[in-house]
Amino acid sequence: MRVLLAEDNALLREGLVLLLTSAGHEVVAVVGSGPEVLPALLEHRPDVAVLDVRMPPGFRDEGLRAALEARERIPGLPVLVLSQYVEESYAAELLGVGASGVGYLLKDRIGRVDEFLDALDRVAAGGTALDPEVVTELLTRRRDSPLDSLTPREREVLKLMAEGHDNTMIAKTLVVTERAVSKHIGNVFLKLGLPPSDSGHRRVLAVLAYLRNV
Amino acid sequence: MRATVRQAARATVQLVVSAAMTFGSYIFITVLLITAIATATVVGAFMLPETVLLIRRIAGAKRQQAGAWTGRKIPEAYQPLTGTVRERVRTAVRDPGTLTDFRWMVAYYAYGTLPVLMLPLWPLGLVVDGVWCGLLRRRAVVLPLISRLADLDAHWSTVLLKPSPKARLAVRVEELTQTRAGAIAAHGAELRRIERDLHDGTQARLVSLSMRIGLAKRAYDQDPAAARRMLDDAQTLAEEALTDLRHVVRAIHPPILTDRGLVGAVRALAASSALSVTVTVDGLTDGHDGPRAPAAVEAAAYFVIAESLTNAAKYSGTDRADVHLARARTGLRVRVRDEGRGGAGGPSQAIGSGGEAGGSGLLGMRRRVAALDGGVTVTSPVGGPTVIEVELPCVW
Repeated sequence: MRVLLAEDNALLREGLVLLLTSAGHEVVAVVGSGPEVLPALLEHRPDVAVLDVRMPPGFRDEGLRAALEARERIPGLPVLVLSQYVEESYAAELLGVGASGVGYLLKDRIGRVDEFLDALDRVAAGGTALDPEVVTELLTRRRDSPLDSLTPREREVLKLMAEGHDNTMIAKTLVVTERAVSKHIGNVFLKLGLPPSDSGHRRVLAVLAYLRNV
Repeated sequence: MRATVRQAARATVQLVVSAAMTFGSYIFITVLLITAIATATVVGAFMLPETVLLIRRIAGAKRQQAGAWTGRKIPEAYQPLTGTVRERVRTAVRDPGTLTDFRWMVAYYAYGTLPVLMLPLWPLGLVVDGVWCGLLRRRAVVLPLISRLADLDAHWSTVLLKPSPKARLAVRVEELTQTRAGAIAAHGAELRRIERDLHDGTQARLVSLSMRIGLAKRAYDQDPAAARRMLDDAQTLAEEALTDLRHVVRAIHPPILTDRGLVGAVRALAASSALSVTVTVDGLTDGHDGPRAPAAVEAAAYFVIAESLTNAAKYSGTDRADVHLARARTGLRVRVRDEGRGGAGGPSQAIGSGGEAGGSGLLGMRRRVAALDGGVTVTSPVGGPTVIEVELPCVW
C-alpha cells in the first residue's frame, strides 16, 4: 500500500516509517507541516494518508484542516488522523465530509502495532477507525436516551461497531458466535430506531448520526 | 400643592437627619481632642486607630445618607487597619482617606448648620405657597427651597467625601498586592500538583516500564514466553503513562484552547455536554483570527464554563443551559445560566442537596478567578434559575 505520512516530530516520523515499511507498505512521501500536505497528496496520489493533527506552522490543528481540505479536493481519499489527544468535535468534523475511509486515533494506539495496521487497512479499504476513547465519550455522556435501554452486551457491541469493527472482529473480541453478534446488532438498531443496514462504515455512520442528534 | 408639601417633607426628614449628624459630630470633637492629647503623650497612641475607625463610620453614615438623597452612591476608599498597634497607627495616619474624612468633618461643622435655615422656610412657605400655589395654581416658590437645601447638603458632602485619586490608588494597590499574593500562592499550589502528578503517575510508570524491558532482555534467551509477558506488561505501562500525561496536560491548559481558541473550545464543550447548551458570543471571533484574551484568562474562562456545565448537569435537574461570552472594554465576561432548581453554593443550602459538591466547585472557581483579579457572582435562588457570572479583567 502506498502511504503518505505527515508528522513533524522526527522521532515519531522515523518510528512510523519503520513500522509501515516493515509491514510491507511503501511510504511515498513524508511531510512535516500543514501547508505541504495537499501539494504532496496531489503529486503522489497515495492509497492512504496518515496525518498528525498538530503540526507547523501554527501547531494547532493544521493536520485536521489539511485532512478536511484534502478530502474535498480528492474525494474518497482515505485519511487516518493521529493525535496526542482526542476531541469529539474533531471526530464529528472528519466524519462530516463523508465517512468512508476515515480514521481518527490517539497516537498511543500506534504501540499496538497489529491493531494499528489493522485500522490502517480498514481505513484504506474505505472503512472507519474511531478511537475507543471518542466512542466511550459519545456513549457515556447522554442522559435519558434510548441508549439506557440497551443491555450491557448490546452496548459493548455498539461501541465496537462505532470503532469500526466488523461482525467477525466483534465476535472474536467478545468471544461469541457471529450469529449472536448479528442478533445483538439487530436489537441495537431496533432499540435506537435505526434502519437496519448491511455492514462496514455505514453502520458507524448510522450510529454516529444517531448519537450526534439525540 | 400636595406633591410640593410631600417633597418638602421628604427634604425635611433628610435635613433633620443631617442636623442630627452635625450635632453628633460636634460631640465627637471632644473625642478628637482627647485622642490628640493622648497621642501626643504617646501613652494613648492605641486610641488613634479606634478614633479613625469611628470617623470612618460617621463619614460612612453621611455617605449613605447623601447617596440615598442624590441616588448616586458615594464610593469610599480606606486601607484596612490591621496588624500591630504600631502598624495600625501608621496606616491610620498615612491613609489618605483619613485626611479626606478629617477635612470633611471640619467643613461639616460649618455647612452642617444648613438645616437651621429650613425653620423659617416652613411657616413662610406654607403661607406664601398656600396662596400662590394652592389658590392661584402657580408654581410653588418657597417650599421647594427646602429641597434645594437638602440638595446643597448632599452635594457638598459628595464633593468632600469623595475619595481623592490618591486614596483610590492606595486602596487599589492594596487590592493588587493581595490578589497578586493569591495568584502566586495559587500558582505555587498548581505547580506542586503538577509535580506530584508527574512524579507519582508518569514517572513511576516509566521507571517500572524500563524495569520490565530490562527483565525481558534478561529472560530473552532462557525463557522467551516470560520475556513476552514482560514486554506485554511494559506496553501496558507505557500506555498508562501516556494516559496520565494526557490528563496532566489537559489540566494545565486544555489543548483545544490552543487549537480552536476560546469560542471554538466552548462550542466543543457545549457539544459534548450532557445538557443541550446554547452558546452566544459578543465581540469575540471564532478560530484564531481576531483578538484573543491572554492564555490564563482563556483557560480560567474555559474551566469556569466546564465546571458550571458539569454542576448544572449533575444537580440542576434541567436539561438546558445557556453560555454567553462577551468581550468587554475591561476584559472578558462569561455567563452560564440554567433553568434548574437553583440553590447552588449558598450558605442556606440543605445538606446533601448536591449543592455542597457544587459549592466546592464554586470555591475552586472563585479561587481561580480571584487569582486573575476577577470576580464571580452566583445568583441561585431556590427554584432557580442559577446564573454564574464571571468577569476576568484583561487587556486585548
